[in-house]
Order: sequence, then structure tokens, then C-alpha cells
Amino acid sequence: MSSRFRNTAFAGQRGRSGYGCHPERSEGTIAMAFNRPFGSFASLRMTIASLRMTIFATTVLTLVGCQREERNFQGMPPSATSTMPATRQTGLQPGPPVRSGPMNGPYEQNAYGVSQGKTLYNQFNCSGCHFQGGGGIGPPLMDDQWVYGSSPENIFETIVEGRPNGMPSFGGKISPDQIWQITAYVRSMSGLLRKDVATGRNDDMQVRSQEQAADKAKPVQSVIPPSAERQ
Amino acid sequence: MTASGMLSLIQQSHSVLNPSSPQARLIDRLWDAMYLVSVIVFLLVVAALLWGTFRRRGPEAPETDPGRERSLTTAVSIATALTVLILFGFLIYDVAVGRQLTRGFGKEALQIRVIGHQWWWEVQYRDSIPKNWATTANEIHIPAGRPVALELLSNDVIHSFWPPTISQKRDLIPGKDNSLWLQADTPGVYRGQCAEYCGNQHAKMGFLVIADRPDSFASWLARQRDTALTPTTALTRRGQEVFLASTCVMCHAISGTPAGSRIGPDLTHLASRQTIAAGTLPNTRGNLAGWIVNPQSIKPGTRMPPNQLDPNDLQALLAYLESLK
Amino acid sequence: MSSQLGRCTSLAGGALLVLLGCSGTADRPAETAEQTSSLPSRVPVTTTDSSGDDGQWIMPARNYASTRYSSLTQITAQNVAQLQLAWTFSTGLTRGHEAAPLVVENTMYIVTPFPNYLYALDLTQPGAPTKWTYKPDPALASQGVACCDLVNRGAAYWDGKIYFNSLDATTHAVDAKTGKSVWRTRVGDINKGESTTMAPLVVKGKVLVGNSGGEFGIRGWLTALDANTGKLAWRAYTTGPDQDVLIGSRFKPFYSQDRGKDLGVSTWPGDAWKIGGGGVWGWISYDPDLDLIYYGTANPGPWNPDVRPGDNKWTAAMFARDPDNGEAVWAYQWSPHDLFDYDGVNELVLLDLPIKGQTRKVLIRPERDGYIYVLDRTTGEVLSADPYGYITTTKGIDLKTGRPIEVPEKAPQTGKVVREICPAAPGTKDWQPSSYSPRTGLLYIPHQNLCQDEEGVEANYIAGTPYVAAIVKMYAGPGGHRGELTAWNPLQRKAAWKIKEKFPVWSGTVVTAGDVVFYGTMDGWFKALNARDGTELWRFKVGSGIVGQPIVYRGPDGKEYVAVLSGVGGWAGAVVAGGLDVRDSSAALGFVNAMKDLPQATTKGGMLYVFALP
Repeated sequence: MSSRFRNTAFAGQRGRSGYGCHPERSEGTIAMAFNRPFGSFASLRMTIASLRMTIFATTVLTLVGCQREERNFQGMPPSATSTMPATRQTGLQPGPPVRSGPMNGPYEQNAYGVSQGKTLYNQFNCSGCHFQGGGGIGPPLMDDQWVYGSSPENIFETIVEGRPNGMPSFGGKISPDQIWQITAYVRSMSGLLRKDVATGRNDDMQVRSQEQAADKAKPVQSVIPPSAERQ
Repeated sequence: MTASGMLSLIQQSHSVLNPSSPQARLIDRLWDAMYLVSVIVFLLVVAALLWGTFRRRGPEAPETDPGRERSLTTAVSIATALTVLILFGFLIYDVAVGRQLTRGFGKEALQIRVIGHQWWWEVQYRDSIPKNWATTANEIHIPAGRPVALELLSNDVIHSFWPPTISQKRDLIPGKDNSLWLQADTPGVYRGQCAEYCGNQHAKMGFLVIADRPDSFASWLARQRDTALTPTTALTRRGQEVFLASTCVMCHAISGTPAGSRIGPDLTHLASRQTIAAGTLPNTRGNLAGWIVNPQSIKPGTRMPPNQLDPNDLQALLAYLESLK
Repeated sequence: MSSQLGRCTSLAGGALLVLLGCSGTADRPAETAEQTSSLPSRVPVTTTDSSGDDGQWIMPARNYASTRYSSLTQITAQNVAQLQLAWTFSTGLTRGHEAAPLVVENTMYIVTPFPNYLYALDLTQPGAPTKWTYKPDPALASQGVACCDLVNRGAAYWDGKIYFNSLDATTHAVDAKTGKSVWRTRVGDINKGESTTMAPLVVKGKVLVGNSGGEFGIRGWLTALDANTGKLAWRAYTTGPDQDVLIGSRFKPFYSQDRGKDLGVSTWPGDAWKIGGGGVWGWISYDPDLDLIYYGTANPGPWNPDVRPGDNKWTAAMFARDPDNGEAVWAYQWSPHDLFDYDGVNELVLLDLPIKGQTRKVLIRPERDGYIYVLDRTTGEVLSADPYGYITTTKGIDLKTGRPIEVPEKAPQTGKVVREICPAAPGTKDWQPSSYSPRTGLLYIPHQNLCQDEEGVEANYIAGTPYVAAIVKMYAGPGGHRGELTAWNPLQRKAAWKIKEKFPVWSGTVVTAGDVVFYGTMDGWFKALNARDGTELWRFKVGSGIVGQPIVYRGPDGKEYVAVLSGVGGWAGAVVAGGLDVRDSSAALGFVNAMKDLPQATTKGGMLYVFALP
């Protein structure tokens, strides 16, 4: 059994029998199967089984890839206000807390959206204050400290409304769809997205490791920046 | 000239077999020569094939007839030699044409920098006096009869610059500066196209090369160097307010206003251009309105997002943009 | 000694008159005169000393000539090793403390980083309790347009009032005795990226303030406000037509490239001059005899030079102006078409020096581009420009034309990476001010030794957001040490001695008549060196790295005190002050890459330290 498996699977692989130069040997390569479609019944069954597995694997990967690479240009852009429940910055609620399910931004699993977000992040000058995640004028985005919340809707609100200590308000200036793309990219900076969705290396001068390689930094609620403290 | 009339003029002059410049004529002649020779060779080969198929055969010749072998060898050798000669001939001709196309520019060449973006063309007129720099998009004006040196750069992926009637193709490669020179014989509108697949809307990344008479070129360039006209009516003033208060200001520059972003095409003289969206649509009020409100329905995947504007604001904005001559 | 001091300070308790400073020679002990025999017999501190009575510190630069020299002699090179901590004061804030404390009439005034509290401390009481606190309440959002930490470089005193800027482009005048606001004037707009971090200078009843924001596409200016009312007296823009730059008939630049009409427009493409930078966030000096103020302008914006061809006047330049109406008398551009963010805003030390047999009125500028310039301050002629650090970006300064000799391979370009740009963007020296001792004849320059790699990227001007368009990564220059203290001899045009430091020396220096020079390091050592040969005589570990300006004053008890603010930050210390992530080499405009080890060497926290002899 095992010796036969060695010679099955992908076409072109040289089994013990070679490439069909010795047609009199009947071990089951796929090439052999095509040369002699009506060869032994056992080898045919093996071939079909391996074919089935290949098709199954390919389909799964393609479907996952489809979702990852899906581009929906004609649909209406997701709106911030219509269907989103209230974005909260704290888990503390009066009365019994209402647990809302985990909310996902529309591009959390979409590699195209994340890469568009990266382009927009640099073009709209987010990188001017936050650089490539290390921070500068604004706080770092690649670490685990989140002042105003790390969930997609919190980051979305941060970009739309701005924040008191110097984050400008981009609402009305960037379309909601693009803000969701930037949100997804920001989350990828600290490794919060799947590795096959996060972006790879830039063509620019390298200043940080690629977002794909970022280890997931479990978000931690940070205090309001000290400069905002008043006496 | 009406939009449709202009459009038909563009379509008419789009063909690569309709050369309008010295460079295109060189290529056209090379093409003609190759075509002619190919046709002749094709006919000869077909004739030989037919003769070989249908000739009357004599009695079976012995297998090894030295005379026959020799004549066959001679025939094959002659045919091979001819083929090689023809191909070498074309090689030399081709290289000669290539050298002529890329020979150095004289001092009289006008320098223009073209930067390819997904999916539009940024055009910069550079000058030794910095005050005289001008930036526009998707429409390259050149003086007819004068050589023009184009510097070709890319902002993102590989594009290719190809106005078929007046020039060869030349790629715009990120990280590399390419150059191209061209010259249009007569005033006219010559359409070009991106010739290297560059993403979703590669097919709709066109441009116009408009050759003007020298005096109209000079006045066009002088106008392009100016800042945008200040809005004079209440409606256009409102339109400028709308522009600066909406998403527009994040991507588009209008010289003379606080809008200075280079992500999208420079709109300082939008109303002086004949097309919008990189040659996709004629520049009319209706097209512009549709483009602003939902560019994704015209060029799905383009970088410009849909913009839902209040109808009155949209009208004001259109009025303002139309005033940017 | 005390009687001599008493002579000079007899008016200390009364009204403050602006006096010519007591000449250093009167106080010098005899043996020192022999040691300085190699110098001309009288090297005046400057003819422009106007600090009033000795023992006070009424402006960060000490005097209009910006010498930062104290003629107090109680602390000497012989006894400074006994210096000990006298008292401390916590500001309660954690950003970079770059200010110089002021001491006026036995009160110490401290301006903190954002939110820019002004503290008045009563030096007559033990422990210097707070007399009052003035809270300017600057707009929180101004924190979003400050490129390089939320610093403030100090206040200035004049006629019973303290003048200082809060971060949100507002100038404040506060009564020095009561702490009540006299006036406040908004001078800029944070929505255009403007902020104010510099210490104002008060000249002839006018408060001179300049804006920051060259990284945000501002249009730079120097503004004069009436010191009594806060109303605008005049404003000189850095770019634009001559009438905005206040260039008129009196303007006589020395070099031909600086002559012409409306150069502030024609050396830019289109209307790029409106967002061209050129802020005035550094130091201003004043010569009362010539009646001229001297100051520099900052970098052109964006850093990526591709989008702004031309000389980009008048950024990275300096002006000599009439303080009454602001009109320009001469100008000189340090870096035409600046490629490397070499802001031209450093201190200008005004001295009268013997050069080639003649005494010339000069100004000395340790400039960002790595050269120590000596200019004739009456005409703007460059007399010499000598390197004091490692330079790859220029080959020298052509003294015939006044222009730097460029190295074209080092010019940053869009989409191309240029390596080994030295000095890096903070230059061989940034804002941190040097001090000059007339006794040793040396200029004590705190500075850095950094190089950088840079790539230009697409420049998108969006008002209120950064307009830099470059990715930068800095690292230590040759030798591996990132800081230096250079004692420069301007007559011999070379360094007398240098001290290497691990971190950039981002603090100011102060030098005294006791021949001691004080400075602080970013890992928290406050040091005293022998001003003549650089021997370290004393050091003290403070709580946080020092980026402030030390001062020397006489307390009400007659003792000499040395005061310095500790609290690491500023551009160099942003990695600690801002809690930045060292895994991104481009953070803080590339500085983080050069300061990855700073978080292990110091923590943040603002504290004033005052030292004295036991």
C-alpha cells in the first residue's frame, strides 16, 4: 500500500516506474493512469481518490481565498450610523450589562481591503503622526496599548470623531468605506488580523517587519495620555 | 466643437495604422515592410505546398539517388539561407528604427514628466524657473512640430504609455525613470491608452495628447501655470466651500486654495480638459455629476469613493468645477 | 570678592534698569589674567550685554547677546566637586522639559511642557514654595500639531511681566508678582498646523514670538506684539512677497542670490510658498548698538524636496531686522533649497572678535548643517564656516558665494533610498543652546553625532495633518557615540576639546566666571566640567534625562545656585516621553531608531533640581 502511495498524487512526480518510459511496469502514477486508462482496477481507485482529495483541497483554498480577495465595488458603502449599535469605550454599564456579540469590521477578513487601508493610511497622512506604527506625534499603533478601544468600531469612531488630545476628526472627509479599510489595517499593525489577510513587505525603505509577521498583541486598555492630565 | 464630435475625432485618430508623427511613421513603415515580405513569403510557401501536394509524380525514384539528394539539399539550403537573410535584414532594420526612435533629444525639446497612477496620468510641465511649473492630469498638450521629451515615472505599479498614432510604447516602472520622445506633425487630438495591465481599471486608463499650434500652446501653458480662478458668483463660492468641506479636499489639489493633496488628479484647470476619469467620459456637467456621486458605477474599483452630497451642494460644486478653466 | 560683587549688584533690590553688564575683567582674579594672556587683553563679554544685575536670569539666553554666561564666581572649578542638592520641585508632568528657569527679584519662574503651567517659586522661603501658578488652559487639540514632543523653551521677563507661549499658538503676559493674566493674544491657528514652543524675546517694549509647524505645512512668521497691550505691532512672514516679508528699501543682503524682487515667491513653484514652512521656533538675539534683532527661520516643507524646486526663500535662512517696525536690513540663507530639514533657528551668539587684525562685530552660529558660521553682523558676510561634526551632505561652504557646496548623490528623492546622510535631520546641533565664556574664549556647544537613511514619498498637503513626505531612519554617526560636547575656539576656528556622550546632548549649557560649564545628559547625569580643559569635576544623577537649559543665579542668601529642569523628552527623547514603540525605525521622524536604548536608561518625569555649595 505504502509503496503505491509513494507513486501517486501529483502528476509529474517521478515514481519508481519513471515517466512512462517503461509502460510495461504498472505502478499507479497519474501519468500512467492517463496512458492506460483501463489499467488495473486498484490503481484506478487510487487515482480517483487522490484526484478527489486534490479537488477538495483546491476548492477549500479557493473559497477561503475568494473571501479574502473579495472586492465589492458596486455595493453601497457600509454606513457608520445605520445599523451599528452604540460604540462603547468601557465595559461598565448601569444595570445588568447588555452583552453585544463580537462586532467585526467589514474588512477584517479581506486582504484587499487591508492593503487598500495601508495605502490610504500613508496617503491621508496617518503615517505623519503615527508613522509605521511606532508613533511620534500620535501614540504607537503597533503595540498593545489602546487608549480609546481596540475593537473595529472603536477605531472607526476614533477616526471619524477624532479624540481630544490631538487626533483630528476625519468624519465627512474620508468615506466610511475607506475608514473601515484603514481600521482593518490599523488592527493588522499589532497582529490582530489573520496572517493571510495582513499585508506583506512594502517596496519602500524597510523600517519595520511586515504586518504579516507581527505577533498578536493582546489589546490592553491604556490610561488617558499623561499630557492630558490636569491638576 | 461638440463633445460627440470631438469624441468621433478621437476615435478616428486612434489607430496605430494612422501615423501622425515621425516616430509613428517609422514604425508604420517597418510594419508595412514586414507585412509585405510576410505576405510574399506566405504566398510562396503556400504555392510550394500546393505544388508539392498536387504535382504529377513520375515513376518511383530509387531511394538513394545522389542527384535527387543533391537537388533537395540545395533547395533546402537556399530556402534556409533566404529565410535567415530576410530575418537578419529585418533585425537590422528593426534595430535601426529603434535607434532612431530613441536618439537623444535636442535642446529644443520640451520636457514633460508623466507619472502613472492607478488609473490616471499625472502630467507635470517642469521648467528651470520654479514659478513656471504646471501640473495637470490625463491631458498632455504639446506644441505641434516640436520634439517633446517625456520623463516617465510610476507612482505604484507598472503602466505603459502608448499614444498609437504618434509614438511607440514605453513602460512606466516604479523605481525607474524612463524617457520617450515624440513629436506630432500637425495640430490635433491624439488618444492614448495604458498598455500594461495595471489593475481593475487598466482598460479605462486613457489620455489625450493634444498638439496645439505654438501660440495656442503658449497661452494654454500660461493659463495652466496660473492659480485657479477665484469664484465670483454666490453659487461658485458655495461650490468652493463644498469642495473644501467634503471628501474632495483629501485627494485633490486646486492651486490657490488650501487643497493641496496629490492622491488624485489636480483639478485646478479641470474645466479646460476634454475628458474626465482618464479619458473615460467627455467632460460634461452630467458626466461630472455622475462621476462625483458614484465613480464606482463607471470605473468599479477606482480609488475615488462615492460621495453623497446634498443636491443643492452638488449643483454648486458642479458650477464651481465648471468655472475652473 | 563680595565687595566687588556688591558693586555690581547694588541695584539688585530696586527697580530693574538695563545696564551694560559688568565687564568680566573687573572680577577676574589676578592669576586668571595670566592664563588668558594668549587672548587679547580685553575680550569683552559683548557690548550688548543687557541682563541687568548680575545674579538674575531674566531671559533664557541670559542677555541679548545670548552668551548664557554667568559672572558669579562663588562656584569654581576647585570647589564644584562639593556641589550638593539644595532643593527640588516636581512639576507633576511627564513630557520633555526644555525650558530655562528664570530668576527675577528672588522669584523663580518655570514654564512646563503642555499644559504649559507657569509656576512662580518664592526663593526667599526655605524650600522655595509656590507663590502662584498660572494655568493658560491651551487647547487640547494643539497636542496633535506639535511635531517633536509638547515642549516649551521658556519665558522672558520685562517690566514686571512674564511673557511666554502656550502650545496652541497663544502668547501670554502674566503679572510677575500676582500671577494674574495681563493679556493673552492668539497668534496662530492650530488648524493650519501652527503651534508655539519658543521662548519669546522682549525688545524695546515688543514681545517677539515665532511659530512652529514646518512639518505641518505652515507659513512661518515672526510677530511683534506690544508688550503692554498684546496688540499686533508687526508681522514678518518667512515666505511670500516682499511686502509680507517686510523687505523694503533698507534691505541690503550681502550675497547676490539674496537680491531680487519677491524672492519669497519666485523661488517656489506655484503657490507652494503658502505652505512652505520656515517657522521661527528658535532663538532671537539683539544688538542694542546696531539696533538689530537677529533670528533664523526653519526648514521648508515638505522634507521631500521634489515638490518644491527653487531656493525656497526665505526658509533655512536668517534675518537682521529693525525691532521697531520689523523691516529687514539683511538676510542670509544657510541652506538654499534645503534637502535635509536643516532648520536655521539655532542660537546666534553676538561677539566682538578680533579677526585678521581688526575687531569685528560678528555673530556665531553653530548651525544644523554641521558648520560653525561666523558672520559679520552688520552686513551678513560669512567670514568663516568650519565643520564641527561629520558631514556627508555638503563639501563645504563657498565663501565667495555663501552657498553650500552640495553633494548631489545625497539629495532625497521620491521613491529612492539615500543612505548615510550626515548629519541627520536634527543636524550636528539642534535647538539646544551653547554658551560662551569671555574668560576662556570658548563656545560650549552641546550637540549630537547622527546619520540617517531617507526615502522620499508622495507629498499630500492636507491642512492640519503632517506634510513631511519622507521616511527616515537615524542612527549613530562615526564612532558610535550619539552625543558630544564641543568646546570651540572661534578665534582659532577649531575645537579646543570634545567630550563624547552615549546619547545626544539635548540639554543647553551654561558657563560661569568660576570656569565651570554645566550640562545634562539624556540618561540623567547633570555634570560640571572644567571650562578650560573639559575635565569632569562633578556629576549628579537626577530622576529623569535632562533636556532643559541650566541656569546660574544668586539666591537671596547670597549663595550661588545652579538650577536645571529634568524630565526627558523633546524630539530626541520622544521615545520615552511619548511611550513610542522601538520596533518601528521610522517613528518620531526616524529618531526612535537612534534611541532604542533610551527607555532602559531613563524614565520620564519633570523635576526642577537646584544645587549649591554646602
